[in-house]
Amino acid sequence: MTLVQRRKLKGYIALTLSTLAALSGLFWLVFIIFDVLRHGITALNLDLFLEDPAPPGIPEGGLRNAFVGQLLITSVATLIGVPLGVLGGTFIAEYARGTKFARLISILSDIMVSVPSIVVGTFIYAILVKPFGHFSGWAGAAALAFIMIPVVLRTTEDMLKLVPWTLREAAFALGASYFRVIKDIAYRAAATGILTGIILAIARVAGETAPLLFTSFNNSYFTLNMNEPMASLTVTIFNYAMGPYEDWHEKAWAAAFVITVVILVVTVVTRSIIHWRYKN
Amino acid sequence: MEEKIKIEVKNFSFYYAKSDKPALKNINMPVYENRVTALIGPSGCGKTTLLRSFNRMHDLYHGNRYEGEILLDGKNILADDVDLIDLRSRVGMVFQKPTPFPMSIFDNVAYGLKLRGIKNKSELEGRVEKALKQAALWEEVKDRLKDSASGLSGGQQQRLVIARALAVEPEVLLFDEPTSALDPISTSKIEELVVSLKETVTIIIVTHNMQQAARVSDYTAFMYLGELIEFDKTDIIFTSPKKKLTEDYITGRFG
Repeated sequence: MTLVQRRKLKGYIALTLSTLAALSGLFWLVFIIFDVLRHGITALNLDLFLEDPAPPGIPEGGLRNAFVGQLLITSVATLIGVPLGVLGGTFIAEYARGTKFARLISILSDIMVSVPSIVVGTFIYAILVKPFGHFSGWAGAAALAFIMIPVVLRTTEDMLKLVPWTLREAAFALGASYFRVIKDIAYRAAATGILTGIILAIARVAGETAPLLFTSFNNSYFTLNMNEPMASLTVTIFNYAMGPYEDWHEKAWAAAFVITVVILVVTVVTRSIIHWRYKN
Repeated sequence: MEEKIKIEVKNFSFYYAKSDKPALKNINMPVYENRVTALIGPSGCGKTTLLRSFNRMHDLYHGNRYEGEILLDGKNILADDVDLIDLRSRVGMVFQKPTPFPMSIFDNVAYGLKLRGIKNKSELEGRVEKALKQAALWEEVKDRLKDSASGLSGGQQQRLVIARALAVEPEVLLFDEPTSALDPISTSKIEELVVSLKETVTIIIVTHNMQQAARVSDYTAFMYLGELIEFDKTDIIFTSPKKKLTEDYITGRFG
């Protein structure tokens, strides 16, 4: 075999292996979605979204309380976590760039990212549930925000650091203040990456169960009051899947299908919007 | 012909942070109004460091120190109470690599104006058009002002950046090797532009290319190892320099 043939062969092997790896990732995703759909299809109807749960054992009702609770908790977590994460990332990538303090926060964030989410749940339990004497939607949102902050912070930091420094100098040279340089130039140049990081962080916390078990807990009734225990899809899936009733299992499957598809759609749509905006 | 001094550098030294050795040693030179002054010298001689002192770019980094004075219209720009935003709107800068902002062509040129609080749409449009015409870019972009600036070629981007600097009507324009990343045709366009711009602004240009310095400048400062070796009219520097070092550099014996 000649040298060129050997190189070509190596190329084909590498191509085959990486294609197989990509296909296996896709295979499991499709497999999960279809399996969840197959099991939950019978419970997947409008009542699932519009009705609250019926008493245990009665195969009627839906999961409106859990859908609304999930939406509220995730939204509030996003409203807390994204600004704190973006501003924190901005601080360490811009104002404190290169200082030991920035490095320290960066490392601490990396550690926080890898803390098991159930630990975050018990921590929030200790500071926001125990002292108040009851579970609450706020505590659930705080736990999810706590998980989001380091993810968003580190992404923001990394993306801002990718923006060439000369671009900032050019803005300074026009007489811009540092605030304007960050707002008009650095954020704009890093927008795609930061937005992607935010979406991934939201998608990640939307699928969390463990931190909510200790914080927002669960609620069989519909509520918009974040001071009360609040149902969420993930905790409901957990409870229903463990429960003894056949219709609970179906509803859990249906809920699992919905949450998976919603996260998938949100991720894909955001990415396409970002891609489209980037091209123009 | 009587020349008017726009900037006067007096006993100027500069130290980078954490360095006791000056990067610039006791520089004294004038910069004449509505003339092009070229700073030449081998790599590391301090010409860019000097250029970046004129708009106090070094202030962006902690620990850098200036000594002596740089007088702009007789006032020391190194004084503590100088407003940097005000200084930088009087002294614009164009960098080595084109630095278009991630926004449309129009917004790029309008950026400096918006920083100064100009919001009136027709005034913005008028001044953007004027600046783009001054930078000889108007004809090429007038139909696609809303397009992203990143779609322009390197040479067009550099002229866009010049238009952006001109839009705020600076008194002095600093060029830091503005053509070193460009092809020959774009380079000659920028050179023509530099020569034509001196009617309205005072220009200081750092260049590695001695032919370029000879072509575009009226005065030339030759620097070596952080010192100003010789300053004179460009034709004198290139035909009958007084210092041996200058002659050796001009004739390509080193550098």
